[in-house]
Amino acid sequence: MSEGAAAETANVVDRFVGEHHHDDRIDVDTEISSAQATRLLWRCLKLLGCAKSLFAAKFALQVGTLCFQLLTPWIAKIVIDNVILQKPIGATDVPYPPFMQPIVAFLDGMTPLEIMFALAMGYLAGLILIGMRAGEVSVGLFGSSFTGQDETAAAENKISGAYSESGGLWGLAEYAVGVRLSQRLANELRTRLFQRLTRLPMAVLAEKRTGDSLYRVLYDTASIPWAALDPTLTLGTAILTGAANMVLIGYSYEATAPQLVWLAWAVLPLVFAVTFPASNIMRRINQTKRSAGSATTNAMEETVASIDAVQSLGGMRAEAEKFASRSLESYFRERVAFVVGLLLFIGAAVAVVAIGLWVVIIVTDGIIEGRMSPGDFGVLFGMFFGIVFVPIEIGSFWLNLQTKLAPARRIFFFIDYESDDDHTGTALARITQGVDIEHVDYAYPDGRTALADVSLAMRLGETIAIVGPSGAGKTTLGCLIPGFLTPTRGRVLIDGQDLATLDIDAVRSHVAYVFQEQSLLAESIRENLLLANSDATERQMLDALELAGCMPFVREMPDGIDTPLGLSGNTLSVGQQQRLCIARGLVRDTRILILDEPTSALDPETEKALFDAMDRIAEGRLLIVIAHRLSTIRRADRIAFLDDGVLVETGTHDELMQRDAGAYRRFVELQSRDAGP
Amino acid sequence: MRGTETLADLPPIRARRILQLALKCWPFIRPMFKHLLLLLGNAALVSLALLALGLLGTDLFNNKILVGDKLQPLQAQLLFVDESFVLGDIADNVNEREVLTESQRKTVRTRAMIWAAGLLVVVAPLVGGLVYYNIWIWQMINQNLRVAMIAKAEHLSLKYHSQSRVGDAIFRIYQDSATITSLVQETFVGPAAALYNIVLALAFLCFFEPRIALAAVFAMVPMILAAAWATRLLRERALANRVAFSNLTSRLQEIMIALRVVKANKGEGRVLERFDKDSHRALDAAFSLRMTIAVLEVAVTAIAALVTIGAEYVIVYWVLGERETFLGAAAVTVIGFAVWNLGAFEDARERLGGALFGATGLVGAWARLQDLFIGLERAFYLLDLEADIVDPDHPAPFPEPLESVTWQNVHFAYDPALPVLQGVDLVARSGTITAIVGGSGAGKSTLVSLLLRLYDPDRGRVLINDTDLRRLRVDDIREGVAIALQRNVLFAGTVADNIGYAARRPKRADIEAAARVASADGFIRELANGYDTELGERGGKLSSGQRQRLSLARAIVRNTPILILDEPTAALDAETEVEVMRNLRGWGRDKVVFLITHRVSTIRNADQIVFLEQGRPVEVGDHESLRLADGRYRSFVDAAVGESIRV
Repeated sequence: MSEGAAAETANVVDRFVGEHHHDDRIDVDTEISSAQATRLLWRCLKLLGCAKSLFAAKFALQVGTLCFQLLTPWIAKIVIDNVILQKPIGATDVPYPPFMQPIVAFLDGMTPLEIMFALAMGYLAGLILIGMRAGEVSVGLFGSSFTGQDETAAAENKISGAYSESGGLWGLAEYAVGVRLSQRLANELRTRLFQRLTRLPMAVLAEKRTGDSLYRVLYDTASIPWAALDPTLTLGTAILTGAANMVLIGYSYEATAPQLVWLAWAVLPLVFAVTFPASNIMRRINQTKRSAGSATTNAMEETVASIDAVQSLGGMRAEAEKFASRSLESYFRERVAFVVGLLLFIGAAVAVVAIGLWVVIIVTDGIIEGRMSPGDFGVLFGMFFGIVFVPIEIGSFWLNLQTKLAPARRIFFFIDYESDDDHTGTALARITQGVDIEHVDYAYPDGRTALADVSLAMRLGETIAIVGPSGAGKTTLGCLIPGFLTPTRGRVLIDGQDLATLDIDAVRSHVAYVFQEQSLLAESIRENLLLANSDATERQMLDALELAGCMPFVREMPDGIDTPLGLSGNTLSVGQQQRLCIARGLVRDTRILILDEPTSALDPETEKALFDAMDRIAEGRLLIVIAHRLSTIRRADRIAFLDDGVLVETGTHDELMQRDAGAYRRFVELQSRDAGP
Repeated sequence: MRGTETLADLPPIRARRILQLALKCWPFIRPMFKHLLLLLGNAALVSLALLALGLLGTDLFNNKILVGDKLQPLQAQLLFVDESFVLGDIADNVNEREVLTESQRKTVRTRAMIWAAGLLVVVAPLVGGLVYYNIWIWQMINQNLRVAMIAKAEHLSLKYHSQSRVGDAIFRIYQDSATITSLVQETFVGPAAALYNIVLALAFLCFFEPRIALAAVFAMVPMILAAAWATRLLRERALANRVAFSNLTSRLQEIMIALRVVKANKGEGRVLERFDKDSHRALDAAFSLRMTIAVLEVAVTAIAALVTIGAEYVIVYWVLGERETFLGAAAVTVIGFAVWNLGAFEDARERLGGALFGATGLVGAWARLQDLFIGLERAFYLLDLEADIVDPDHPAPFPEPLESVTWQNVHFAYDPALPVLQGVDLVARSGTITAIVGGSGAGKSTLVSLLLRLYDPDRGRVLINDTDLRRLRVDDIREGVAIALQRNVLFAGTVADNIGYAARRPKRADIEAAARVASADGFIRELANGYDTELGERGGKLSSGQRQRLSLARAIVRNTPILILDEPTAALDAETEVEVMRNLRGWGRDKVVFLITHRVSTIRNADQIVFLEQGRPVEVGDHESLRLADGRYRSFVDAAVGESIRV
C-alpha cells in the first residue's frame, strides 16, 4: 500500500476512501445526516409494533440467557479454587454474589470430589435446559460474503437470521422465536412496501429500469428487522450485561481490588473514543463497497435482461469485459473494507489489550499477594470484558447503522411516495355519458410540455382515433383518462365529475387500457386474463380471445388456455403477444376501452379481422384508439389529430379530408401514396 | 424452474458427483492452486505453533503465576531468570512442593506478559495476512467462474433464454457461481482444515491421556449417526426452501417489471394476495430448514458437552490424586505437566473442546452442505452449459466483398412438433433491399435469426457468397451483420453511448451520421444535453418512435455489409417513415438490407419482396409485379390500406 510516489499514494488513498459512485442510479447520496438517521431509525422502531408479543418473548428469553450466563464463571471459580486447588469454601475475602449463596451453602462442607460431582450434575441439568457447556444456537447458510452473494440470497439469510447465546431447549425456543420475529417484521414491511409499489403513480413506472430497481428495493426490507432489533434487543441486552457485571464487580471485588472498579468505569469512555472515529471511517468504506457491489449486479442484470439485443449487436465480449471489471472492482472494495476493518480492529484491540494487560497485572497481583484466589482470574476477566463489550457493541451498532439505514431510506422513500391511494373521493358506480377533457396541459417532471390546452369531448358509443406524429402526446392524452397521469392544468371530467374528486380505483374499474408494449406475465394465458378480471367466466375469456384473434394460436398450444407462457410471453411472436394483451383488455368488459397502438405488430389481415370485431365491441362503449395506421383510423367515428401537444383538428375522416391544407389530410396522403398502383 | 424440481426427485449425493464437481471447477481453481497450497501450508504451521505456545502459556500462567509452582529449566532460560526460580529436582515435583516467592511470581508474570505482547505483535499480522490471502484466493476463483459463466450465458443461443425467466437466469449465474465457490471451499478445504485441527487436538490430548482422546473419538460416532439420520430431512427442506425462494424471487421481479400492466388492468389486489402467499411460503420453508439445522446442532453439541463434563470429572479425580500424565514426564524440562495439575486440567479441557466442538462444527457444516448440495445439480447445470452454436475448428474468413446472401432449402423448428421454416430458398444481392412479409408467425424473424447464426438450420444451408455460415466464426458473422430488433432496448448511458453501443470505437461524427440516417439527429439535438443526454431512469421520456430511431441508428453506425431491420418503422409516423426509408436507400448502396415489416408504405420501397406463409416463400418479386399478380400479396396490401381510399 505504501509503495510508489506520493501522487500515486494519494491516488490509491483516493481509491480506498473516495466517494466513487460506480452506478449513481443506486444510492445517490452516500451520507445520511444524523437527523435523517434518527427519523429513519424511529420509523424502523415503530415497525416493532406489529410483533409486540414475539418481541417481548424474545427479550424475556434473552434476559433469561443473560442470567444463566452470570452464573457460569462463578461455578468455574469453584472448580478451580475449591476442587482442583482444594481450598475450603469461603477461604478468600471475595464474597460470592447473592444468587450464588444458596449454591455455595449447599456445597459447603463437601469434599472436593463431592463438590465436583454435584457440579457435574448441575452441568447436566443446565445442558438440557440452557445448553450449558454446549454453546449457542445460530444457523447461517451459504458461503462467505467475501466471495459474493447476490443481494436477494443475502436478504433471505438476513430475513431468517437469528441467534441465541443459550443452547439446549431454552436456546432452541429463543432461536425459533428470533427467526419468527425477524421474519414477521420483514414480511410486514415487505408486504406493505409491495402494496405501495403497486400503487405508485403511472408516471413513475414509465421506465423499464424502474422495474428492476423496485425489485431491489423490495429486497432491501431484509435489513430493516435488524435496524429495529439491534438498538432494542441487542443493545438492550448488552447494556444489561454491562450493568450487571458492573454491579457484580463492585459487590464482590470492591474490597480486594478497588482499582478494578474504577478502571471498569474509565474504560467505557476510552473504548467509545476509539470505536467511534473508527466506525465513521468504516461507514464510508462500506458505502463505497456496497455501491461497487450494486454496480456488478447491475451490469449483469442489464446484460441478461437485454440478452437478445446484446447478442444480435455482437456486444457479448464487451459486456463480459464490463462485468468482469466491475466484479473485480467490487472484490477489491470488499478486500479494502476488510483491511481497513482489520487495521481499525488492531487499533481498537491495542487499546483494549493494553487495558486488559493492566487488568491482568492487578488481578495477578491480588492472587500472588493472596487477596484473591486463582479462580477469581476467570471471573474477573470475564466480567471486565462483559463491560468493555458494551461500548464495542454500541460502536458496531453505529458502524452498521448506515448500512442498515441506506435501504430503510429507499424503502420509506417509496412508502411515502405519492400514491394512487391518496386519490380518494366519490366512488363512481357506473359511467353513463362519457369523458370531457377541458383545457388540459400536461408537462413532464423535467418541464417539457406534452399537452397544451387540449379539449375533447367523448361519449359512450363513440370510437375515437387519436392520431399524430410520434411524440405528439397521444399516449399522454390516453393516460389522463384512467388517471394514470394528472393534468398540470385543466380538468378531466367523467360523467361531468372532475376526476380529481373521484375515487381513482372506481374510475379505473371502468377503464381498460391496453399498452403499446406487450407485457404478459409468465403464467398461463388464463392467469393473464384473470389478472385483469378475476371474476371472468370461461365464456367471457374465450369470447375475448376470439375477438382479439387469439383463438387460432391458443387452440394450437399444448394446454390451450392453460398453457404457461415463458418470460414476458416471449415464446409467442410479438403479434401474438399483442393480441393476447388486447384480449386481456377486452375481458374486463369496461365502459371505456383505450387501445394504445394496439396493432403496430399485427399483419394487416389480422388487424382487419380484429377491427371488424371491434365494431361489435364498441357498441355502448367509448373506444379510444391511438394509432398510426390509416386502416385503423378510418374506421373511427371521430379523429383527433394531435401535433406537438396541440389538438389541431377533430372530425370524421371525410370531414378532415375535405380540408385542403389540413394536417390530417397531409398525413393521410403520405401514407396512402404507397397504396396507389 | 418452477415445477421442474419437486421433493420427489431429490438428487442423490454420490461421492462421484462431488468429485465431478471438483473436476469441473478445476479449470477455475487451477490458476489459484499454488496460492491455495501455500495458504494451507502456512495455516497448518501457524495453528500447530499456536497450539504448542498455548500449552506452554497455560502451564506458565496457571501453575507458575497463579499457583506459584517453580519453573521448568527451559522456561527459566526463556524468561532470563536465575536458578532460584527453577525446580530443584525436576523429576520429582510430586512430593516436595517447592514454591516461588511473591516477588519471583511477579517477575515471572511480567516477563511472560512481555513475551505474550511480543508474540502478539508477530502473530497478529501473520494471521491477518493469511485471512486476507484466503479472501483474495476465493474471490479470484469465483471471479474466474463468474466471468466464464456470463460469457457462456451470452453465447448461448436464444433457445435457452426463451425457455426460462430472467429472474431465474440471474439467480443461477450470480448466486450459483458463489455457491459453487462456497461448495468447493466447504466440501474440500473447510473439512480438511477442520479435520487437521481435530487430529492436532487429539494428538495433544494423547500427550495428557490417550484414553480421553479415545473417548472423544467414540463420542463422534453418535454425532455422525445423528447427522446421517437428519440428512434426508435436511435435504428435503433445503430443496423446499430454495424452490420457494426462487419462485418468490422470479415472480416478484416479473411483477415489478410488468407493474404498469398490472395497474392498467387493476390487478393490484390479485398480485398482492399472491405475493403474500409466496412470501409466507418462502418464510415458512426458511424457518423449517433452519429449525432442523438448529435441532441437529443442539443435539450434537449436547453429546460433545456430555463428554466434556464427564471428562472433567475424571480429570479432577486425577488432579486430586496427583496422577501422572501420559507423556508429561518426557517433556518435563519444558512444561510442568508431569502430573495432573491446574494447568494440565485447563489445557486438556481446551484440547478436548477443540476435538469435540471441531466435530460438531463438521456436523454443522454437513448440515449446511445439504443446502449447497441441493444447489449442486444446478451448479452442474451451469457448468455443463455448452453453447449450441460452436465455432468451426478451421474457420473461413468472412467473405469480402459481399455479393449475396442465400438460403438454400432451409428447414427449422424450435420445437420439432411445430415446424417454423419449411424449405426456404432465397437470394438477396448486394445493393438491394429485401422486404420479408407475411402474417404473424409466418417465420419472418426466424429467417433472419438463422442469418445471425442465433440458431443453425435443421436442414439446408445459409450462405454468404458461397460460404456456409457454419464455416465462419460466430463472432465474424455477427461482426458483419447489424440488426435493429423489434423490441427497442435502451441501455443505461448517454444517447451517444446507446447509438455507439455495438460499434468498435465509434467516433462522434459516425454516431451523428448514423443518427441522421435514422432521422434521429433532429430530436436528439433538442434533448437537454443533446447526444450526451443520459437515458434510462432520469433521461426524460423518449417516445417509442424516438426509441425506434435510436435502435436504427445503433444498427446503422456499425456500417456492416448486412443490415437487418425488424419492423423498423412500426412506431414511426408516416412522415418520419418516408424520411428514414429515403435515407436508408441512399446509405445502403453496397449492402444487403433486409426489412421485416407489415407496413405497406415501408415494403414498397424494397427491391425484392418475399411473402412468407407457413414457413415458405409463396411469392417473390417487387411491389408492382406482386400487385399485378393478384395473389396473396395483393390481398395483403388491400387489407392494409383499405379498398375505399381514393384521394
